[in-house]
Amino acid sequence: MASLSSPPDEAAYRNCHPKRLSSNGAIEPTSDFFKRPKICPRSSNFNSPIEIESEFSHHDSSSARINNGSFGCCPASILVLQREWQLRFLRQPDRFYFDDLKPKIAESRAVIRRLINADQVDEISLVDNATTAAAIVLQQTAWAFREGRFQRGDAVVMLHYAYGSVKKSVEAYVTRAGGHVIEVQLPFPVESTDEIVGRFRNALETGKANGKRVRLALIDHVTSMPSVVIPIKELVKICREEGVDQVFVDAAHGIGCVDVDVKEIGADFYTSNLHKWFFAPPSVAFLYCKKSDSASPDLHHPVVSSEYGNGLAIESSWVGTRDYSAQLVVPSILEFVNRFEGGIDGIKKRNHDAVVEMGQMLAKAWGTQLGCPPEMCASMIMVGLPPCLGVSSDSDALKLRTLLRERFRIEVPIYFRPPKDGEIDPITSYARISHQIYNKPDDYYRFRDAVNELVNDGFRCTSLPD
Amino acid sequence: MESEERNGESNRHHRAPKKPRFAEFITESEIRSEFAHHQNGIARINNGSFGCCPGSVLADQREWQLRFLEQPDDFYFNVLRRGLLESRTVVKDLINADDVEEVSLVDNATTAAAIVLQKLGRGFVDGRYQRNDTVVMFNCAFESVKKSIQAHVTRVGGSTVEVRLPFPVSSNDEIIAAFRKGLEKGKADGRTVRLAIIDHITSMPCVLMPVRELVKICREEGVEQVFVDAAHAMGSVKVDVKEIGADYYVSNLHKWFFCPPSAAFFYCKKHSSGSDVHHPVVSHEYGNGLPIESAWIGTRDYSSQLVVPSVMKFLNRFEGGIEGIMKRNHDEAVRMGIMLADAWGTNLGSPPEMCVGMAMIGLPSKLALQSEEDGKKLRSYLRVHCGVEVPIYFQGLSDGEEGVRDKDGGVITAYVRISHQVYNRVEDYERLRDAILRIRSLSEPFLQH
Repeated sequence: MASLSSPPDEAAYRNCHPKRLSSNGAIEPTSDFFKRPKICPRSSNFNSPIEIESEFSHHDSSSARINNGSFGCCPASILVLQREWQLRFLRQPDRFYFDDLKPKIAESRAVIRRLINADQVDEISLVDNATTAAAIVLQQTAWAFREGRFQRGDAVVMLHYAYGSVKKSVEAYVTRAGGHVIEVQLPFPVESTDEIVGRFRNALETGKANGKRVRLALIDHVTSMPSVVIPIKELVKICREEGVDQVFVDAAHGIGCVDVDVKEIGADFYTSNLHKWFFAPPSVAFLYCKKSDSASPDLHHPVVSSEYGNGLAIESSWVGTRDYSAQLVVPSILEFVNRFEGGIDGIKKRNHDAVVEMGQMLAKAWGTQLGCPPEMCASMIMVGLPPCLGVSSDSDALKLRTLLRERFRIEVPIYFRPPKDGEIDPITSYARISHQIYNKPDDYYRFRDAVNELVNDGFRCTSLPD
Repeated sequence: MESEERNGESNRHHRAPKKPRFAEFITESEIRSEFAHHQNGIARINNGSFGCCPGSVLADQREWQLRFLEQPDDFYFNVLRRGLLESRTVVKDLINADDVEEVSLVDNATTAAAIVLQKLGRGFVDGRYQRNDTVVMFNCAFESVKKSIQAHVTRVGGSTVEVRLPFPVSSNDEIIAAFRKGLEKGKADGRTVRLAIIDHITSMPCVLMPVRELVKICREEGVEQVFVDAAHAMGSVKVDVKEIGADYYVSNLHKWFFCPPSAAFFYCKKHSSGSDVHHPVVSHEYGNGLPIESAWIGTRDYSSQLVVPSVMKFLNRFEGGIEGIMKRNHDEAVRMGIMLADAWGTNLGSPPEMCVGMAMIGLPSKLALQSEEDGKKLRSYLRVHCGVEVPIYFQGLSDGEEGVRDKDGGVITAYVRISHQVYNRVEDYERLRDAILRIRSLSEPFLQH
C-alpha cells in the first residue's frame, strides 16, 4: 500500500551539506547545526527541508510547538495511509475482519520485533498506549497478590517521577490487592546517573526489609516530568542481583527517543508509545513481554473479548469493534523514517543534538541552567526558567504554561520544582523543550524572547488569576 | 407503528432535537452518496455486526481528528472534555437518563462488560460475596461477555447459570418462563444472584427480549444488580433507561446509530451502581467518576465519540428522524424476512414484534448444515461466490427436541440473520434468496464442493 523506499542517493546527501570555503581555499563543513538543513534524506523522493513542512502542514503554523513529548506528531503521508486502512474497513468490514485484520497486525508486530531486537513476535503486543500497557502488567501483579503467590506487604518499587496515570494504576491494582508501594525519590536537577543508582539501591533495600520481597520494579526509561534519561540497563541489572521478581520498564518516550534493545536492557516488560516519537497516528504502543519459563500466565488485556486465553498479543488484536488503523500503519512508518539519513537513529541523534544546543542557548540567554547534563537527555531537555517569574506551585506552572500558549502561542510544558531548605534564590521552574524534525530554531528564539519579555515586564505568577 | 409498547420503549416524546420545519427530507440518491464508500456489488445485509457510518459524519470525524493533530495540547486542555460532554448530553436526552453523570462514553459494549465484571469480581475478592454466588445470563450472551465472566468472576469463585434461550421462539412468555427457572437455579442452595446479564436484543440468534419484564422479575427475586447488554439497541428500538430500570445499560453507537468505529454509551444508574465502577485502563483521572475516567484513558483518537451531535444532524434529515428510521428498518426486515421464508419454504425465527431491524430466517434443510463450521463455510461461500454478506446461525437439536421442519420435510438447523439499514435495497435480499435457492438445487450438497 505504501511506496517502497528508494536506494540511497549519494549525490543528494552530499548536496545537503553546505560547505564553505575557508580562507586558504579548502572546503570545510559548517559546524553550527542549524546552518545545515535539518535532514539529509537518502531517497531522491525527499529532496529538501520544504517537504518536512508539507508533511506537517496540518500543524498550527502560528504555534511554536516545542512539546512533541506530550502528544507526538504524525506526518501527512502516514495520515493518508491510515485513512486508507479506515476506508478499507468501512467498505466491507466483515471481509476486513475475517481476512485482513489479524495478518496485518501480525505484520506490524513483526516490524516492532525487529526494531527492538526481541526474540519472538509472540512477545510483542500492540495496545493503545503505555497507559493501557501499565494496566495489563499491573493487573497480573494484582492477581498474584490476590491469589497468595505474593504476600501482603511485598513491595512494588517505582520512581517518584513515574507518570501520574501509572501511579494511579499502581494504586488501583497493586495497593488495592495488598501490595506495598515504595517510591524512589530522585534528585532534580541531577548531575550524574550515580545519584539515581544510589537512591534506587536504597529503595530496594527498604523493600526487602522484614523478610519481604520486591515483586515488581517499575522504572521509566525516560521520565516525563521532570524529564531525565534513566540508566535503565544498570538498574535492571541491580534488580536481578537483588532478587526482584519482575521489572517493568515504562518507556512511553521510547522508540524514536532513546535506543531500544530489549534483550540488552533485559526487562521482563517494556512498553513504548509509537505516536510520541515514532510518527504513528494516535494512538498505538507496543508492550514487550519477555518469554520465559517463569513468565506469568496471567497476562491479559483487561478488556476481555472472545480471544481471551489465546495469548496477550492475540487478545490485544481484538478488543471488540474499534478503529485499529493506527496499529496497521506501522510498516509504512518504518519506510517513512528510512527515507531519512540514518533512519530512526539518525533522527534521534539530530533531535538530541538540536535540543541540547537549544537548551544551552536558552539557559545562557536567561542566566539559568539545564536540569541534567546532555548525556542524560534524549530529545527533550529541562531548561531552568528565571526565578523572578515566581513559580511557586504546580498550579502556577500550569497557569504560566497557559499564558505562554494564549499570549505568545508557545506550547511548552512547565515543571514546578519545589525549593529545598537552604537553597538561595533557587530555580523553581523548568521548561521541558522537545525537538522533533518539524521544529525550527525560530520556535526556541520565540520562547527565549517571550520569557525575556515577561522578565522585563516584572511579571510574577502571583499576578495570574485562578 | 403499533401504539402498543415494545419492551422498554414508549411513544412518549423525548427531548430529541427537533427537525427544522421546512427542511426537505434526504433523498434516495443522497443516501446512496452518503454510503458511496461501501463496496459496490456486495449485498451488505449484515449491518448488525459492524454497523455503518455515513460520509457526512466521517467528514466531521476527520475535522475532529485534524483539530487534535493541529494543536494537541490546546485540544486536550480546552476542547476534548467539552466535546465529550456534549455527546454525553445528547445521549442522556435520548435515553431519558436523569443525570449526565450517569452516562459515560466507551469504545464498545465489550469494554462496558469488562467494567461491570471487574467490579463484580472485586465483590468476591473482598469477601462481600460468598463463593458460588451466581451470575445469571442467557446462553446466547455474546462470546466476549462470557469470556469476561470467566476472566473476572469465575476465577475468583463466582458461578454462572446459563439460561437457554428458546429458539425459534413464538412469544415473550417462553423467554420469561425460561428466565424464571434460571433465577431459581441461581438462588438454589442459599446462594445469591449477584448479577443478571440480559441482552436487550440478542446477537445470535437475534431476538428482541422483553427486557422490562425481565428486569422487574429480577427485582422481585432479589437479584442484586442487573446489567443490560444492549449492543444493538440504540437506533434499533427506543431506549428509556428509567423504564427499563437496570443498574447498568450499554449500547454501541457504531452499530445502528451511525457513529464511526467505535463508540458506545454506558449508563450506570446513580445510587445503585455505587462509586466502585472504574475503567480498567487507569489514568490520572482514576477516582473522579467513570464518565471522567472514560474521557481520558491516555492519548488516543476520541473522535468517534465526539461526532454524536453530527449524527443527530444526519438523523434529522430523515422523515421521522431516528424513530422513522427504526420503524422502516423493522418493517423492511420483516417484509424481506417473510419474502425469504416463503421463497425457501422455511420460517421466521421469531414473530415480527420480536424482530427489530434484523430478522432470523430458517435456511432450507436441504443445505444439510450440521455444525457451526458448516455455517461458517456457507457464510464464506456466500461472500466469495455470491457477493452476499450475511451471518449464519447454527443450532443443533437438543435431546428430545423435535425441531422445526421446512416445506421439504427436513429439520431446519440454521438461520440467516438479515439486517436492514437505510442503505439497503430489495435487490440485496433477492440476491440472497436466489443464491440460497441455487445452492439448494445443486445435485450434491454444496459443502462437498
